[in-house]
Amino acid sequence: MSEPDVVSVRGLRKSYRARVVVDGLDLDVPAGEIVGLIGANGAGKTTTVECVQGLRRPDAGTLRVLGYDPVTQAGQLRPLVGSQLQDSALPDRLRVAEAIDLFSTARARAGGELLEQFGLAARRRSVFSSLSGGERQRLFLILALLNRPRLVILDELTQGLDPAARRNVWAAVRQLNDEGTTVLLVTHEMDEAEALCGQVAVMRSGRVVDAGAPADLVERHASTATIRFSMPDPPAGLLDLLRRLDGVRQVERSGALVTVRGHRRIIAYVGAALVRWEPVPTDLSVHVPSLEDALLGLLNGETGEHGEPVACTPADKELAGGRR
Amino acid sequence: MSTAVGRLVRAELALMTRDPLVLTFVFAFPIVTMLIIGGAFGTTPDQAFDGVNPAHWYVASYLTVVIAATGLVMLPVHLASYRERGVLRRFAAAGFPRWSFAIAQLIVGLLTTAVACALLLAVAAPVYGVPVVHDGWRVAVALPLGAIAFVSIGVLLGSLLPSARAAQAVGLLIFFPSFLLGAGGPPPHVMGSVVRQVAGPLPLTLLTNAVRAPWLGLGPATGSLIGVAVLAVAATVVAAYRTAL
Repeated sequence: MSEPDVVSVRGLRKSYRARVVVDGLDLDVPAGEIVGLIGANGAGKTTTVECVQGLRRPDAGTLRVLGYDPVTQAGQLRPLVGSQLQDSALPDRLRVAEAIDLFSTARARAGGELLEQFGLAARRRSVFSSLSGGERQRLFLILALLNRPRLVILDELTQGLDPAARRNVWAAVRQLNDEGTTVLLVTHEMDEAEALCGQVAVMRSGRVVDAGAPADLVERHASTATIRFSMPDPPAGLLDLLRRLDGVRQVERSGALVTVRGHRRIIAYVGAALVRWEPVPTDLSVHVPSLEDALLGLLNGETGEHGEPVACTPADKELAGGRR
Repeated sequence: MSTAVGRLVRAELALMTRDPLVLTFVFAFPIVTMLIIGGAFGTTPDQAFDGVNPAHWYVASYLTVVIAATGLVMLPVHLASYRERGVLRRFAAAGFPRWSFAIAQLIVGLLTTAVACALLLAVAAPVYGVPVVHDGWRVAVALPLGAIAFVSIGVLLGSLLPSARAAQAVGLLIFFPSFLLGAGGPPPHVMGSVVRQVAGPLPLTLLTNAVRAPWLGLGPATGSLIGVAVLAVAATVVAAYRTAL
């Protein structure tokens, strides 16, 4: 029998006065997965995870998190969840080591090891207000992981971190997941979602508009690859050959610049075709569609960047990491 | 202390020692004003002060100023700042038990008032002398009850007001009239009847009466004591509900 989902949300609805922020959202987070929640600002991502943690009371819908109802059983649930919240802080004069002591329960890991792992050991005696943005984010991550949570919720995890620190944090999240912890990640960084998440749910206007593995989302909503190269006087047969290649949708010529668009498998076919014609172009560039392209297509609800029609997949098609 | 309340109390006490402005207001303001006003009225027994030494009248009154400064000025700003900056959300998300923060604030507030009161008496003793306590039991009941009431009112204000600035403005707006009318200002006998009527039901006036009258042998002040007790229970219940994580 398969393990039940760590998070199961059905028909979640939350309004602030007249403004509907979450509107009938369904979401599943299977045990042991890293699931990303992505979408534009104001899509309802943070409100959703706050409801999941029991920090906000939903207007409607059912939620089960680690088997508990976050509304009525928040006291049992919260110690099992580690969270790195958006827009929260610690007291300005609280020292890093004191923060570790304050948040440590009987289940806590050794704070010193985490401080070493995240490069904050030297800042142990520093007060919170003196930490840089990146150092604060790392401290929040340490606090989220401190008490061996079964579910970790990370909201804008690497905001303000430099590239090296981001990689360090990503490695820590992967390690955490390898140890069996389930992660729900809210992010604006598509490269982060692609790097970490097995499943991604895309939110727009308080709903999940599509969900699945990042590669599947790209395939569904932004599969067009674009290849460009210069060839001042291309042989007539070459352009005809390119048009006939499997997956090619469009071949354009503007002066010396040739642009080929089509399914991403054309990258291999076009490359293979070009090496048979001399001289081989030296400035060939390839734009491979990314999760960001898929997200833009989904959020705009219109034709994708590379000319292909993009449809908003109904929410019931596949929920995040959902039951297949 | 490894319980959530213990950890919160320890952290809050450490933080308090690093906040000189708050400490100045709670510890130094009552002492300085007591020295000034006690000196202004002298030490000769006066009918305006129910026939007691005015300096002793103020020594017995100013313990409640310490309590009011903690409750009306220090705590609301502290809590509103926590709420405004998301510190309370972080405590809630981290699984701190529902009532732990409210209890921790109550403990920290009571410890602060105890230390500030001891300091005030230590300064008053060599200058004006500490008056003999006539009815120790009533004073011993009124002081902690008043501290609980004002700490709870402070926690409640901090949970209701939208920002630290608003909390500071409202806290001071409540504190100074209460201070002047109910504890540190002129004695009730020299006030006009309207002002006396306004001052009478103020929480700080009730508390000051409940402490000062039995201390100086001016009567049991049972009505004031009951008022303070009711206030303590009501404010504690509402404050605990409002600050539940």
